[in-house]
Amino acid sequence: MSLLHTFTGFLQVPWSDYASNIGWGLLRTLAYTIASFVGAAALGLVLALMRLNRLRLVRLPAALYTEIFKNVPLLAIIFVTYFGLPSVGVKLSVFVAGVLSLIFFYAAYLSEIFRAAIGGIHSGQNEAAQALGLGRGTTFGHVVLPQALRLALPGTNTMFVDLLKSTSLLVTISAAELMTQAQLIASETFRALEVYLVIAAIYFAVCYPVSQCLLWLERTIHAGVPLSIGRRRRLKLAKTLLAGGA
Amino acid sequence: MTQHIGNVARETSAIVAKPAVTIHGLKKSFDGRQVLGGIDLDVPAARIVSIIGQSGGGKTTLMRCVNLLEQPDDGVIEVNGETICARGAVTCKDLAKLRQRVGMVFQRFNLFPHLTAVENVVLAQMHAAGIGEREAVERAVRLLQRVGLGHRATAYPERMSGGEQQRVAIARALALGPTVLLFDEPTSALDPESTGEVLRVMRELARDGMTMILVTHELPFAREVSDWVVFIDGGKIIEQGAATDVLDRPREARTRAYVAKYAASG
Ligand SMILES: Nc1ncnc2c1ncn2[C@@H]1O[C@H](COP(=O)(O)OP(=O)(O)OP(=O)(O)O)[C@@H](O)[C@H]1O
Ligand SMILES: [Mg+2]
Repeated sequence: MSLLHTFTGFLQVPWSDYASNIGWGLLRTLAYTIASFVGAAALGLVLALMRLNRLRLVRLPAALYTEIFKNVPLLAIIFVTYFGLPSVGVKLSVFVAGVLSLIFFYAAYLSEIFRAAIGGIHSGQNEAAQALGLGRGTTFGHVVLPQALRLALPGTNTMFVDLLKSTSLLVTISAAELMTQAQLIASETFRALEVYLVIAAIYFAVCYPVSQCLLWLERTIHAGVPLSIGRRRRLKLAKTLLAGGA
Repeated sequence: MTQHIGNVARETSAIVAKPAVTIHGLKKSFDGRQVLGGIDLDVPAARIVSIIGQSGGGKTTLMRCVNLLEQPDDGVIEVNGETICARGAVTCKDLAKLRQRVGMVFQRFNLFPHLTAVENVVLAQMHAAGIGEREAVERAVRLLQRVGLGHRATAYPERMSGGEQQRVAIARALALGPTVLLFDEPTSALDPESTGEVLRVMRELARDGMTMILVTHELPFAREVSDWVVFIDGGKIIEQGAATDVLDRPREARTRAYVAKYAASG
């Protein structure tokens, strides 16, 4: 009986009127996710490298940062950034405040993942690269980082999906993303259950394929399929040379 | 395996009379503990010098000084007539160039596991020696074929046997056209069959006139390929001489004990 009630309730929400709201909300959610993830990955990498530095003076601030932001709720970071900072003269737009909060928070977690991955590379790799005359930058870019990325991929993928879901907390600063749209529609239609169920389903419909794609990426890389165009070209050339009996 | 490995013979014949590596008064300490206590050693071009001795004697450290992976505290090292370090200071202006001239092969291979065999051989050619992609790949394929691994060129290291990996590592070092190759116990992580494969490649290199410094416990192989054998203990050269002299008629008691031990176990 109540199931039937719910079902008829779905029909009473004028979805077609809200389609564009939901569409824009979804786009904004994706924009928050991508901007924050790129920023958090970059900051996380810097923090990881700082924590692997020889100098204590470099390691310490990064360690401090990581511990603080790992042990503070994301919501608190969002409120401080958006509601708190204006009182010291830093007034940020909703988008900037939202993205920055997510970056601050997720960089701490990603730095832990990256640090473990980079630290997990055998020291013999650096030695071999050095002995071949590769410079520090090249060694990092072509030897350490590609291997570290492979190690970091599973944890990073989990964080990506987690970040996507956490953008829903930005409803608290009216970020106009998916959850904010949901709140709007629910308050206009008085159909909270139906509206939030639909919105939850949309989050699922985005997150599930994304995490499956990332799993596929992990498996593909693990199987040794070269992803970069340069690598494919070199391997193809090598195969041609070998086949031609060159 | 009948082809020659690279054009090593031609490249090295021009400098055959000159010493490829000269080491004089080399000292190195770690945390105040002396590991090398004044090493004097000449390695003539196109010759093979084997370094033998007990574990912890400083053999690896000595090798790592020759390509400046380790910076000596004192002494002078010359490579192909260029002073690369003197009295605790690095005088070599271009470390990358030095390492292209002095190749190194490790005990545990240290291949790049995220790259296939051929890419392992290509990487430093392109990014350290500035060789173009096409030429680098061609040379890599050629070198892999010459160490008998043409059919494994696109395999990843983890799918290869130890002997295959070590041969890839040799090809990787050869790709930069070194005049000197350093081998640090290249076969001690390998089973007898793989050891045989690697020694065969090294034998060919020897025939082609590559200058080699080799740390090994394979005394029969050392006797076969080396022109000169150096016995090191406690960071000092205890005895050196022609391979047959040091290995068959050692003068020092410590050398005798070591040779007896490895002759018995090998
Ligand atoms: N980076 C380092 N820091 C501190 N001590 C070191 C370092 N490298 C080597 N040593 C020490 O120097 C000594 C000589 O080491 P080395 O590796 O040169 O010996 P080895 O003759 O190659 O021994 P093995 O046959 O076991 O390889 C050892 O006591 C070792 O512990
Ligand atoms: Mg050693």
